[in-house]
Parts: sequence; structure tokens; C-alpha cells
Amino acid sequence: MKRLLIIIFFLTFFAFGDQGGSFRENRPPGPPAKAFYNPADSNLNRGLRGVPYVYTEWETFYVKDGLPNDHIFSIEADGNRLWVGTEGGLALYEKGQWKSWREKDGLPWKVISDIEVSPKTGDVWLALFGGGLARFSGGRFDCFNQFNSGLVNDVVYGVALLGDMVWAATTAGVSSYNTVTGEWEIYTEKNAPMEEIWCYNADAADGKVYIAVWGGGILEWDQKTRRWNAHRDPDREMEIDLYRDDGLIHIITTSASYIDGVLWASTYFGLSRYDGRHWRGYMDHDSGLASNFINLSLGRSGVSCYNATDLGLAVLVDFASDTWVTYKKDKPTDKTWTAHSGVGNNSFVSVPTKLTLPNHFVICLDFQGDDLWIGTGHGLARGIGKDYYPGLKTNKKFLQGSRGRFFQKESPGRRRQK
Amino acid sequence: MKRIILFLLVVFLAMDLSLTAQESSQKAEKKGKSGGYGRTPDRYVPFGKFTKPYKQFFLDPLEYHGYGRQIPEPEQVGSVKIGFLGPIEPTVSVATGGLSHEESLGRKMLQGSKLAIEQANARGGYRGGKIPYQLVVRNDNGLWGASGNEIIHLAYKDNVWAILGTIDGANSHIAIRVALKVEIPMMNTGDTDPTFTETAIPWVFRVITDDRQMCYLLADFVFKKLKLTRVAALRANNRYGRMSIDEFRDAATRSGHPFLVELNYPVGDTDFTSQLQRINSLNPEAVITYGNAAESALILKQMRAMGMNQWFIGSDRMVSPEFIKNAGENIGKVAAGYPYNPGSSKPRYLEFKRLFKERFGDTPETYAAHGYDGMCMLIKAIEKAGLNRARIRDELAKMKHYDGVTGKKEFDPAFNNISPAALAVLENSRWVFYSQEEALK
Repeated sequence: MKRLLIIIFFLTFFAFGDQGGSFRENRPPGPPAKAFYNPADSNLNRGLRGVPYVYTEWETFYVKDGLPNDHIFSIEADGNRLWVGTEGGLALYEKGQWKSWREKDGLPWKVISDIEVSPKTGDVWLALFGGGLARFSGGRFDCFNQFNSGLVNDVVYGVALLGDMVWAATTAGVSSYNTVTGEWEIYTEKNAPMEEIWCYNADAADGKVYIAVWGGGILEWDQKTRRWNAHRDPDREMEIDLYRDDGLIHIITTSASYIDGVLWASTYFGLSRYDGRHWRGYMDHDSGLASNFINLSLGRSGVSCYNATDLGLAVLVDFASDTWVTYKKDKPTDKTWTAHSGVGNNSFVSVPTKLTLPNHFVICLDFQGDDLWIGTGHGLARGIGKDYYPGLKTNKKFLQGSRGRFFQKESPGRRRQK
Repeated sequence: MKRIILFLLVVFLAMDLSLTAQESSQKAEKKGKSGGYGRTPDRYVPFGKFTKPYKQFFLDPLEYHGYGRQIPEPEQVGSVKIGFLGPIEPTVSVATGGLSHEESLGRKMLQGSKLAIEQANARGGYRGGKIPYQLVVRNDNGLWGASGNEIIHLAYKDNVWAILGTIDGANSHIAIRVALKVEIPMMNTGDTDPTFTETAIPWVFRVITDDRQMCYLLADFVFKKLKLTRVAALRANNRYGRMSIDEFRDAATRSGHPFLVELNYPVGDTDFTSQLQRINSLNPEAVITYGNAAESALILKQMRAMGMNQWFIGSDRMVSPEFIKNAGENIGKVAAGYPYNPGSSKPRYLEFKRLFKERFGDTPETYAAHGYDGMCMLIKAIEKAGLNRARIRDELAKMKHYDGVTGKKEFDPAFNNISPAALAVLENSRWVFYSQEEALK
């Protein structure tokens, strides 16, 4: 009898011990997610915490409307003016009219990968994809290239401005140009912590320059200390992401956007957010990202980020509640795009929009006041931000008002379709 | 009472068995999934002994979702242009750390590509319509990321439909980033850096077996077949040396035998005494090197002169007559990974060797043979797709297998050739090639 009881005791111990082991193994890896999203929160389980703004009114623009080319690479809003860089020239949209420049008009090279406008001088700086760096000022284009300047390579992917300095992210390193002294500096693996030198994008704010380095993570330049700091993928493996929130998702970064003290970093493997202390990772299976392949991420604030993906536009509207709005064509045959709102990867409501771009491979975007511009592989579109509001609306009066009627309920907690 | 206890006993036993089965099933699932990428053996999976990663990439085929397929074909073309990017003219290379040294490889790759183009034209050109295929050749062997500028030129000025190239790891990465933005298919036949296709670019294809497969074979050979445990590394201090040895280093660590030491040397160095003295003091059973044939041969020669008779393991770049010529008389035990079996007696390969020798008066080596295979794949895709870059990409993406002169190729979801590597062993001053099975038997 005693033997049997002892056997039962041990079997019980091992049985539940095993169960405990399995439970631990099955838990999502990484630090507890409670700080960001608590699955036990009944409010979240019921659906959205509030109503995010959805761009439903859209205008589209093509070559027939005045663009030099339909393949849009860059957009830069400058007050009421909008600069557009395409695969076939530069365009300016002002007061409802388009004006364009091609090589025959003095543009040094037709493919424009990025644009920045100096708030100090009004000069327009163009990253030319294979043609160097150009300054458009007073109706004249000045070209800086490998042979006439300190530009490290003519394949320029990104340009950023910080005070009097122009920063160019090129395929073989970074160059900075002091517009006052005319002095150039070059940063490569020899004098910066670049594991690779293939720079993809640049952003600057608050005395810092951020460079997205393809294969090298995000580099941060502090103008005051003149020092570089590197953010890399802690697992150092290309084929996996070991833990969700341990750092940058992947070292193949495509853009950096710094706003409100928060860094948003896009990769072809998902999105990362860094608030100076904590990292948060987003992928298509755990968030509203339409795809992990992100061409560009642009922070609208420290808690909201717009992501240009190869399967549509994915907007993290509210970081705290993990609320997303994803714009895409649900089916290739659809004439218009649909916006899906949800929490994390669960989509709760869908909203039809008037966006008619034929392809949802989104390459670039920018904000112009409350309006939103997106550029795709075929066409440019403006989302009209009438009554735009950031974050979520939660008051009952609003929810019972006209905007609430836009929403069509989806099956509760439906997984987003990729 | 006894009945109740027995009943409880049965219930607990059943629960225990059920949980064990559940756990085994979970482990099997974990094993299957984690080992799924790059034909990675379970024992070499990153963090495989400790946890399951939050996300594993490259298990699904890369897709292109852009507008390119809808771009209409040109109504008339005088020729169907295919770009070639490779190191063919000597210059200075910032990526490789000094004087360029890959021209001999690039020229062979060019010869293989030319042969494929000439054969296609002899068959009647594009779709048999007498429109010839035309190879547009550009040198990537320049300073300051010249390969990027060359791809821009090929895509926007030469208006080629697809590009073949290149060899140097840094130049290849620069080229594919440009190819991605331009949206043009890029076939690689000479860069063995594993990270090349780990970039999620849906426009990139590789036909040569990479260093991941070669390192796995070398690691199995060293740790499983030879049962050695003490390995030291001496590699070139450039991107090739750093990246290509990576999978062997990881495999060694994951096998429980991390490198005793990993030292490097500048490209072009001729005296390795100080590094070898330090390595020798650690009493290794094998020395592994990743670098070019010239330096690898000198390292071996100096090792033997110092009385170091350990196994000398290396990369495919030392599998050459130049290595044998410069390594001296006392070669000893030497083995290297190789992307294919050049000793194959398959009729298709023998015919290719005959035609190549007839055309260029020389025997083809790995870069020529893979250049030929890669160009044949591009031509096959263009014949099927027509003159549209996105649809050419789609046809290449559909090729899960390809039977080339270098053997049967198997492509993973990232369009990387994961067919097993061969092992080259120096026997009587001759390279003898063994398949994976033969090498580990």
C-alpha cells in the first residue's frame, strides 16, 4: 500500500512537473509583454479601445496629371508645396498645379530617391540614385558627385539636413557637407562603427542624425559629441529573430525616423520602436503590419508610425493600445483599397476608401498638415485629412456620430489576411 | 481501496505518457521548423539547444508585389540585352582591402556566360526569331562601391532585361540593393557569402553552392569524420575572410569545440610566422583558413616548415593549380570545401568542358561553369517570360530545381542554391573530389 502511494506521489510529481516544463517552453519568448499589451485585458479582447482616424477620401495623380513618371520614389512636403521624386524626374505640386523637371531641364539625373528642403534657406536637396547629390536653388541645379566633391558614392539613397549640414546616405558610406564652410566629411567602416557601408536612409532631429545601414543596423550620430552609436540586432543571426523585444529586429534596415525622442526603424523583416530604454518589435504575424517588407517608416509622433510596405500602408495609430489601421487592396481585382482597423494582428472593423491606386506596393510617404501622401510603384495619392485627429476617439457622442457609421464590423478577432 | 489506487495509477500513467508524447511532438515540430532553413543540420541551428526563435525567416518563397508585371513589352528590339557584372579589369578594390585580385575568376565567369549566349544565338536567338541575345559587359572592380554605379548604368542606360554577377561579397550586396530598387532580376554565380540571399530581396537568385553548405560539410568532416576537437583559424582580414568562415565558426562552437584562436592577416601578406607561432603554441589538431589561393599556399608552406603537420582546412578559393604550385613539396593533409564536383563524368558536363575548351582553349573551372549555368537559367526564363523584368523574375522564382552542367541544383524559398557541397582533398599533389556521402563515410 505504502509503495503504491509512493509511486502515485512520484507519478503525480513527474506528470505535473512535465506539464510545467511544457508550459514554460510554450510561453512566448522575450520579456513579459504586460507593459504593452495584456491579453487578459477584457477591454482589448472585446475589440478596439477607441476609434482611430481613417483616411477615406483620396485623390490620385499619374503622368497624365503632370507627373514626369508614375514610379514614385520620394515625397517631401514643404508647407503648401509638395516635391515628388520619381524614376523619371522631379515634380512640384503647388496650388493644384504640377510642374516638372527632367534632364533636359537641367536636372543632373532623372532618378530621385530622396528629397529634403532646408527650413533655413529653402534649398531643395535631392538624393540622385546614381547621379550624386543635387541642390536645387534659385532655379539652378548644382550637382555634387564622386569626382567634384567629397561625396563618397553617386548612388545616394537618402538625404537629411541638420542645421547647416547636409547628410547623404550612399551605397558606400555616408558623406556630410557643411553648406557654410563647404567642408566635406566621409564616414565608412574606417571611422564609424559600420559593419557594412551600405547606407539606405537618413533622418535628422534634435541634434542627432540617424542612418539606416543595410546590414549594419541603425547608426546614430550625435552632433554635439561628434560620436557614433550603433543599434544592431542582438541575436546577430540573419535567419531568425530570437526574442521579440530584445532590440532591433534585423540588421537589414531600410529607414530611420526620429520624433518625440522615439526612434522608428524599418527593415525587410518588420518594424522596431526604441524609446531610449525599451525596444518593441512588430511583424506581420503579431501586428497590423500588412507585410514585414517595409520600404519606409515615418513617425507621425512618438506613439504613431506610418509604414510603406509591399502589401499596403500600415499605420500604428496608437502605441499604447496597439491599434492599427491597414490600407490595402483586399483582392487584386478590387477597384479601391480597404482600411482595416484592429488591435495587434486582430482586425475588428473594415472601412471602404476611395483610394484607387492600381497597386499597393507603397514606396514612400509624407504628411502635409493633416493630409497624407503616398507614392507607389505606379501612381501617387493624397489622403485628405478632413477632421483628422491623432490617437483614438473614445467619447460616446463621437462614436454615435457620423464617423461611426463608416465602420463595418468584421468577424470578432479575425486574423488579418496577408 | 486497492482498485481505486490501481485506477488512479493507470490514470496517472496515461497522463504521463500523454504529456511525454505531447512534448515529443512539440520537440519534433520545433526540430523540423528550426532545421528548415538552408538545410541546416539540427546540431548547427542557432540557439537550437536553448530555445525556439520568436520568428524564423526565409521559410516561405519571397514574393514581388509591385506593378512591374503590368509594364508592356517593347514592340520592337534589335537585340535582347543581358548585363554582365564582374571583376574583369585590374584595379584597386576598397572592398577587398587593396589591389584587386579577382580578375582571373571574373574572366572565367565571363567566358562561361559568353558561351551560353553564343549557344542561344546559334539556336536562333530570342524565341527563335533571329533576334540575338547580347551580353553587355561591365567591370565592377572599382573603388568606392563602383558596382552600384555599374548596375544603374546597365539598368537605366543599357536597358538590359536581367543581370549576371558578381563575385566579391561587398560588390554583390551593393549590386542587389540597386537591383531591388530598379526592379531587375539578378543572377549570382560567384559570390558564396551566405548572407547574400538573406536580405529578403525577391529579385536575387544564386546558382553557386554557398559557404553555408561548404562550412557544414567541412565541420562534419573535421568534427564527425576526423573526430578532431582543437581547431585554430587564420583568415584574410577582408569581408570574404570574415563572412565566409562564419558558418564554420558557429558550427564549431555549437559542436562544443570553439576555435582555440581566430587570427587574421592583411590581403597580400607573405609572412605568417607570428600568427603561426601563436597558433602552434595552442597545440591545434587542425588549422582552418579562409582567403585566396596565394596566401593560403604560403600559410601551408610556412606551417610545414615550422613542423606543423596538422590538417590544413580551407575554402574553395584554394582549390586551384596555383595553390598546389606555391604550397611546396611537403603538402601533407589538406582539404577544402567546393561548390560542385569538377571531376564529374556526367555526359552534359563533359560536353560542356569539350565545348568550352574548343571555344576558349582552356579548361573551365568553377566560375566558368557556374557562369554558364546562371546564364542558361536567365535565357530560359527570358524565353518563357518575354521582355518584362518582373515576369522574368517570376520564371526564375518558379525554378525550384535546375539540372546544370555543375549538377542538380535545389533552390530554397530565398532562391538560394542549397544543393550539397563537395569535399576537395589533396592526394598526391592532385585535388580529388568527394560527394558529401563519400566524404563523411
